[in-house]
Amino acid sequence: MSAVAMPSRRRAIAPRFTMTRELTLVAVTVGLTITVGLLNHDFVGAQNLRFMLLNSVVLSLVALGQTLVIAMRGIDLSVAPILGLAAMVCGLLAQTHGLSLAAALPLALCIGLVLGTINGVLVATMDIPPIVVTLGTYSLYSGLTFIYSDGTQVDAVSPTFAAFGNGHLLDVVPIPTPVVVLLVILALCWYVLRHTGFGRAVLAIGNNASAAYAAGLPVTWVRIRVYALSGMLAAFAGLMFLCYTGSATVTAGTGDHIELQSIAVSLIGGTAIAGGRGNLIGTVLGSLFLSVVLTALVFLHVPPIWYSAGEGLMILAAVQAGFGRRGARA
Amino acid sequence: MIQLSREPVAQALLGARGIAKRFGPVEVLRGIDLELRPGRILTLMGENGAGKSTMFRILAGQLQPSAGELTLNGESLRLASPHAAHAHGIHLVPQEPLLLPELTVAETMFLGRLPMTGAIFRHVDWKDVRRRAQAVLRMLDLDIDIDSCAKTLSLAQLQLVECAKALLHDCRIILFDEPTSPLTSHEVDNLFVIMRRLAADGCTLSFISHRTEEVLEISDDIAVLRDGRLVDSAERGSFDRARLLSTMVGRTLRDIPRRESSYVTEQTVLEVDGLASEPSFRRIGFQLRRGEILGLAGLVGAGRTEIAETIFGVRRPTAGSVRLAGETVTSKPCHDLIRKGLVYVPEDRARHGAVLSMTIAQNVTSGLLERVRQSAGLLSDADETRLGATAVRDFRVRCAGLDQPLRELSGGNQQKVVFSKWIATGPKVAILDEPTRGVDVGSKEEIYELIEAMARDGMAVLVISSETEELVRLCDRVLSLYEGELVAELTGDQINPAAVSASYLGSAHAEGAP
Repeated sequence: MSAVAMPSRRRAIAPRFTMTRELTLVAVTVGLTITVGLLNHDFVGAQNLRFMLLNSVVLSLVALGQTLVIAMRGIDLSVAPILGLAAMVCGLLAQTHGLSLAAALPLALCIGLVLGTINGVLVATMDIPPIVVTLGTYSLYSGLTFIYSDGTQVDAVSPTFAAFGNGHLLDVVPIPTPVVVLLVILALCWYVLRHTGFGRAVLAIGNNASAAYAAGLPVTWVRIRVYALSGMLAAFAGLMFLCYTGSATVTAGTGDHIELQSIAVSLIGGTAIAGGRGNLIGTVLGSLFLSVVLTALVFLHVPPIWYSAGEGLMILAAVQAGFGRRGARA
Repeated sequence: MIQLSREPVAQALLGARGIAKRFGPVEVLRGIDLELRPGRILTLMGENGAGKSTMFRILAGQLQPSAGELTLNGESLRLASPHAAHAHGIHLVPQEPLLLPELTVAETMFLGRLPMTGAIFRHVDWKDVRRRAQAVLRMLDLDIDIDSCAKTLSLAQLQLVECAKALLHDCRIILFDEPTSPLTSHEVDNLFVIMRRLAADGCTLSFISHRTEEVLEISDDIAVLRDGRLVDSAERGSFDRARLLSTMVGRTLRDIPRRESSYVTEQTVLEVDGLASEPSFRRIGFQLRRGEILGLAGLVGAGRTEIAETIFGVRRPTAGSVRLAGETVTSKPCHDLIRKGLVYVPEDRARHGAVLSMTIAQNVTSGLLERVRQSAGLLSDADETRLGATAVRDFRVRCAGLDQPLRELSGGNQQKVVFSKWIATGPKVAILDEPTRGVDVGSKEEIYELIEAMARDGMAVLVISSETEELVRLCDRVLSLYEGELVAELTGDQINPAAVSASYLGSAHAEGAP
């Protein structure tokens, strides 16, 4: 038999494992840091660099979960109130009942697991579009925060929390603990998405859910697990937020629109809004980029009323640049 | 001889007893008894909407029967999901290859069954994925890069990857849901070689096809469905073409004749001059006259669809010009061309032709919304229903009602709706890309008569078809393409099956070359 000639054979436009997006983001972030640093030397001081790095951790944690959800062609708006509720519950218990950090961690994860699973079950078994489900649970969960806190707020948690949120894991290498934690979680998520059956199922569902179903993949179960995972990451981010800031209010998470930020940095990082492609490293770099942008606005003495608009313009520019490189699709 | 599986293949006998399926009020299958035996190829034949695909989806666990039971080696078998079907070694190669655009070819082939390795951390064995994907593609003699993204493959390539996938998974029962329609004859031959090899290995195969020649060639057993019932079932030996066709449509078909009357006039409506869109095709020139039916013959990938897309303004030309009724319209946007009276009915309806989630009536009217009476910018439901009803009647669309979503219709009936949508705009020139792809024999004749009626009414029709019989049946003139170039023009008595096939196979360039 002769080889079957394939007339319309084309190579993939971009090789699969290039790091173009990541390298671009690093270059842009470093470039921006240096540029602003030239205008204001304090911007590149050790203290501010550490601040910008730490500031991106909470968003990164939320956005990692969001990236998995978007890669599966879903969306999770409820991450912000899940973050807020976990921070509030752990914070109040720590403040009034002396809840330890060791006990707060499983508690936060349980909160995220339960709330995320509710999202997942609604999306996967009742076939309600994810944007509708999580729009509903967004209000529901932030309502729970109001009910639970009953007007109180958290401002005095034990020093172990603050030490975790601001300290260094090793005294020899001055890398802040949250950054180390983030890198470990990033590595885990990356491994899961790239190398486990569950991760490949997430991408398969994002590409074509009916094909994934026809291939015998447990689509419903995978969907539930992804939303549960997103909830757990958001709740963990809530605990991290509590440790880092030492406080929790009823608007933690929702006030900063962390749900929208997490979607934006996922897209900046190279995750396809239509699903099927997820770039976790890009997401973390995107969060760092956003953190640098927001801090730069402060250092450049941009009036505060312009922050939100400036942030929006930078997000649009970054996402557009990403889409532009991919070229027109026929 | 290739070793298809590591162990001797266990034999599997898949049976169906009294299978019935209803979708709401529509009874799709009634009391079907089938027996898929090891080492044999059973072909399901039947018109569109006869229930063949539905039967396959039940066998593959994608649908649950409303009544009846399945058996595997005599024991009752319940297939709650495709997963369960896989677990029993049943693999369905679907009719329309499902696209996973961002995944690599290798991963697509292992979808749902990625090999895992590692004792503590179970992870995907990518080395094994690539090695086995490469091996099976080589076995099938396919020149496809396993690392390319699925979105860069053509329909034919995706189909072949699907077939490779079945082989890859050591499935003992393989169901092919009309795999051959988008394949070239060489690719079909390749597939049949593999199918016979699998059958010789003791696998149980079943196959859906509309093409009587290939059914008679490949089958061991043949079962014919009509309107959801099993009307005939026997070994191949007792069937011939005439018996197949007559049981399928329930009446005796005459042989496909050449068209006697011609409506060709002297008035040129479409002029294509030196058109090229590299690398797909180049130096394409022809004229299309009022009332003429012009055929474009060629292998899949010869550039026929690309030519149509370029004329229609979807694809950018690299050279040449297109004139419609004397006016130059090269690379005008397609909505302009539609207004000027050029329509293009594409081949792949799921991608370009129709909105599957919308109703029949909405699909019919989506091309001519300005004809639906509007008041205050709102569309008139009554008009939409009227136009939809006309289309359903004229094209004999089999459906439960006008407000049934297109998705629920069989492939052929979907195609009829798409077709009617464009014809309803009353164009000067119609380009029909594989107008009867996936359409059963009986409906094909209806569509041919319709195309003839279009020509009689003074329309100029360009038909792209991979079916020689179709071109012979329809065309006043046939242009043959080979690898993006015109290689032959056939007229009059030259238009016979042998000459048309020979003209585009690359071996007969000399014959009637322009």
